[in-house]
Amino acid sequence: MTILGEIALWIALPAALWGAVLSFAGGRTGRSDFVLSGERTAYVLTLLLTLTSLGIIAAFLGNRYEYWYVANYSNRELGTYFKIAGLWAGQRGSLVFWTLLLSVFTSIAVFQNRRRNREFMPFVTGTLLALLSFLLLVLLFAGVNPFELVGFTPANGRGLNPQLQNYWMTIHPPTLYLGFTAFAVPFAFAVAALLTNRLDSRWIAVTRRWILLSWFFLTNGIIFGMRWAYEELGWGGYWFWDPVENASLLPWLTATAFLHSIQIQENRGMLKVWNMVLVVITFLLTIFATFLTRSGLIESVHSFAENLKIAYIFLGFMGGLIAVCAVLILHRLPSLRSENHIQSFLSRESAFLFNNLLLVGITFAVMWGTLFPLITEGFFGQKINVGPPFYNRVNVPVGLILLLLMGIGPVIAWRRASRRNLRKNFTLPAAAGLSMLVALAVSGIRHATVLATFSIAVFVMTIVVREFWKGTKTRARIAGEGNLSALRSLVRRNRHRWGGYIVHVGVVVIFTGFAGSAFDTNAVRELVPGQSATIRSAFGHEYRLVYESLSHSRPRTDDAVRENDWRWTALLTVYRGDERVKIMRPERRFYPVMDEASTEVGIRSTLLEDLYVIPRDVDLESGTERVTFEFKVLPLVPWIWCGGMIVAVGTLIGLWPVGGPRARAPASRVASGLPLSGTAGQAA
Amino acid sequence: MTVFIGWILLSAGVALYILEPVFSGRGTPSYKGDDDPYDEAVHRRRVALTALHDLEYDRATEKVVGDDYERLKAELSQEALRHLGPAKPDDGPGVAERVNQELEEEIARIRRALREGLECTVCGHVNRSGARFCGDCGQGLPAARASAGGGIPTDGTDP
Repeated sequence: MTILGEIALWIALPAALWGAVLSFAGGRTGRSDFVLSGERTAYVLTLLLTLTSLGIIAAFLGNRYEYWYVANYSNRELGTYFKIAGLWAGQRGSLVFWTLLLSVFTSIAVFQNRRRNREFMPFVTGTLLALLSFLLLVLLFAGVNPFELVGFTPANGRGLNPQLQNYWMTIHPPTLYLGFTAFAVPFAFAVAALLTNRLDSRWIAVTRRWILLSWFFLTNGIIFGMRWAYEELGWGGYWFWDPVENASLLPWLTATAFLHSIQIQENRGMLKVWNMVLVVITFLLTIFATFLTRSGLIESVHSFAENLKIAYIFLGFMGGLIAVCAVLILHRLPSLRSENHIQSFLSRESAFLFNNLLLVGITFAVMWGTLFPLITEGFFGQKINVGPPFYNRVNVPVGLILLLLMGIGPVIAWRRASRRNLRKNFTLPAAAGLSMLVALAVSGIRHATVLATFSIAVFVMTIVVREFWKGTKTRARIAGEGNLSALRSLVRRNRHRWGGYIVHVGVVVIFTGFAGSAFDTNAVRELVPGQSATIRSAFGHEYRLVYESLSHSRPRTDDAVRENDWRWTALLTVYRGDERVKIMRPERRFYPVMDEASTEVGIRSTLLEDLYVIPRDVDLESGTERVTFEFKVLPLVPWIWCGGMIVAVGTLIGLWPVGGPRARAPASRVASGLPLSGTAGQAA
Repeated sequence: MTVFIGWILLSAGVALYILEPVFSGRGTPSYKGDDDPYDEAVHRRRVALTALHDLEYDRATEKVVGDDYERLKAELSQEALRHLGPAKPDDGPGVAERVNQELEEEIARIRRALREGLECTVCGHVNRSGARFCGDCGQGLPAARASAGGGIPTDGTDP
C-alpha cells in the first residue's frame, strides 16, 4: 500500500502539470476537449492523492520506521488514532494532506460546475491545478518527500510530540486545513474572472458559499485550536498571540472583511478592486499560515521546526503570486470601476467599509507583531519578540469598535440614513447599552474594557433580538402564520442576513467570554496529601480543594523501550461551600525518551465559570508526595465555546442551499416583474 | 517486479483517462463558449428583489419609514426592472427564477397587506388585520373605512 502511495505521488505531478496547461490552453483557444482533459485530471489527482495519503497512513499503522517521516512522528506505543493523525503531524504529511484537500475541493468545484459557469471553468481548473502542481513539485523535489527512506530500519520511532497526543489533534488541524484549502476555490474564480474580463458580481455570487464554507472551517478551526491550547498547554489561557495562532487568524480576519465587502459589491456595485485585492490577500495568507506553521521560520509554541528551505520556496511562490495578481488587477482596472459611490458617511455602505478598514488594520497589526522578530533579526541581528501586551493594546480597542459596528451595520439604512432612521433604530439599543454601563459602574466595576464590552454587547444583542422579534411578528401578521413558522419563512427568504445576525450573536457571546478574563483569580499552593486550599471566585463563592492522594502509573509492559509514559495523578476533591461538586484527577506526565513533560489539567465547567487546576510540580525527592498546584477560577470562559457554537449554527444557516424542492413551479409569469410595475409610492 | 507492474498499470490508466478526450475530440458536455449573459441579470435582479423584500419588512417593522422608504423603494424597483431579462423560450424555469418569482409574490403580498389599511397614515404603525383604529396612536384607519364602503381599490397587479 505504501509503495502504491509513493507511485501515485510520482504520477500525480505530470498529470497535474498536464491538466493545468491543457485547462488554460482550452480556455484560451475554446477547445472543449482540452478543457475536459483538464477537468478529468482534477478527478484523477483526487484519486492519486488519496492513494498517497492512504500509503502514508499504512506506513504509520504498519510501524514502517524505515521511512524518515514515520520514524520521526510515531512509535510503537502510539495509539491507532494518533497513527492515522500522523498524516498531518509533521511538515511532510501536512503538505500531502493540504494537497489532498485542495484536490478534493478542486474536484467538487469542477463537478459542481460541469454545466454551469463554463466560461470561468477552464481557468478555474487551470489555476487550481497549477497550485496543485506547485505543491507536488515541492513535495517531490524540495527535500520533504514523505516516502524518504532513512537507509536502515530503527527498532522504534521517536514518537509523537506529547502535546499533540490529544484528541483535538485529530480535529483542529484538519478543520483549519479545510478552511485554508476551501478558500483556493474563490481565489481561482477571482483569477478566472480577471482572465476572462467578466468582472461583474458573478464570480462572487458563484463562490459565495465557498467563501462561507471556508470561513466556517476557519472559524471552527481557530476555536478548536483555542480549546486545545486551553486543555492541553495547561496555562489557563486559550490564546497567546503565538505566531502560528496569529497565522491562522490572519486569513480569518481578511476573509471576514471580504464576506462583508462582497455585500457592497452585490448591492451597490462598489469596491470591485478592493474585493479582488482581499480575495488575493486572503488566499496568500492561507499559504502563509500553512508554511509558517511547519517551517520553523518563527519560533512559537508550535515550533515543530523542520525545514527552512520550504519557507523560502513558499515565500518565492507567494511573491510570484502577488506579482501575477497585481499585473492582472492593474490590467483590468478599467473594468473594475465602481458603479456607484458612497452617498453618505451615515449609511450601511460606510459602516461596512469601516468594518473592512478595521479588520484589515487588525490584520496588519497582527502581521507586524508576528513578523517583528524576523524584521529585528534581519536589520539588527537580534530577535525581539512582541508579547500579548502589544496585541492586546492594539487589538482590544479596535475589536470593540468592530463589536459596535456589528450592531450598527444591520440596522442603519443603505445609501443614506436619515435622522429619523437613526433615532428609530438606535434609541432603544443605546439606552439598553447605557443602562448596562451605569449598572456595572454602580456595582463598582472600573475595568474600562469590561465596561465597554458588556455595554456594547447589550447594545448589539438588543438590536439583533429586536430585528428577529419585529421581523417575525410582522411576517406572522402579514402572512397569517404562527410565530415559529413565520420565523422560519423569514430566515428562509434571506439566509445570509439572518444567519449573519446569529453569527453576530455568537461573536458577542465570545467577546463577553474574553472580557471575563478581567476577573480571573488564581492561587499557587504546595500541598501534601490531606491538606486543602481555597480559592475565591469573582462571583463571590469559594471553592475548597482537598488534595487526597498521588498515584503513579506507567504503561503496563516489561519491555524497557516502551516505558515512555510516566504519569503522576493527583486526586482532588472539590467542594463549593459544603457541597462536594467534583473529583478531579489532574496529571503530570513525563516522556523519558523525548525528555519532555506535560500537564493534564483538571477542569470543572459551569455555565458561568471554569475551575482550572494545574499540577505545576511533583516533588519526587522527599517522598512526601508534595505537589505544587496552581488553582484558577476563570469566569465566562465557557461562553467562548458556547459563542463558537452559535457562530457555527449561524454560518450553517447562511450556507444552507437556496431554493430547493419547496420552490413552486411557476406558470407564465416568470420574469414578468408584475408587482414592480407600479412606480414608487403608487403601491403605498 | 510487482511494483513495476503496478506503476505501469496505474500510469496507463491515468494517461488513458485524461488523454482520451484529446484523442477522441470529445469535449465537455455543455461547453459552448458563449456563456449565457442571462444569469448575471437574474442574479442582479434577485439581489434587488431581496433588498426590496427586506425593505418592505423594514417598513412594516417601522425601521425605514416615510421619505426614506419611498426613495429606497424607487431606487431598488428601478434596479430590479433594469435587470428584467427576457424569459428563455425553451427552458423551464430554473431555481433562480423560481426564487425571483417567490420573492416578487411575497413583496406583492406584503404591499397588499400594508395597503389594506393595516398601516396608519399618521404614525406609520402597522396594525393587526381587521383593526379599525391604530393600535399605537388611536387614529381611525382609512382602509377599514374603505372596506366598510365596499372593497379595496387595487392597481390590478397583484396575483
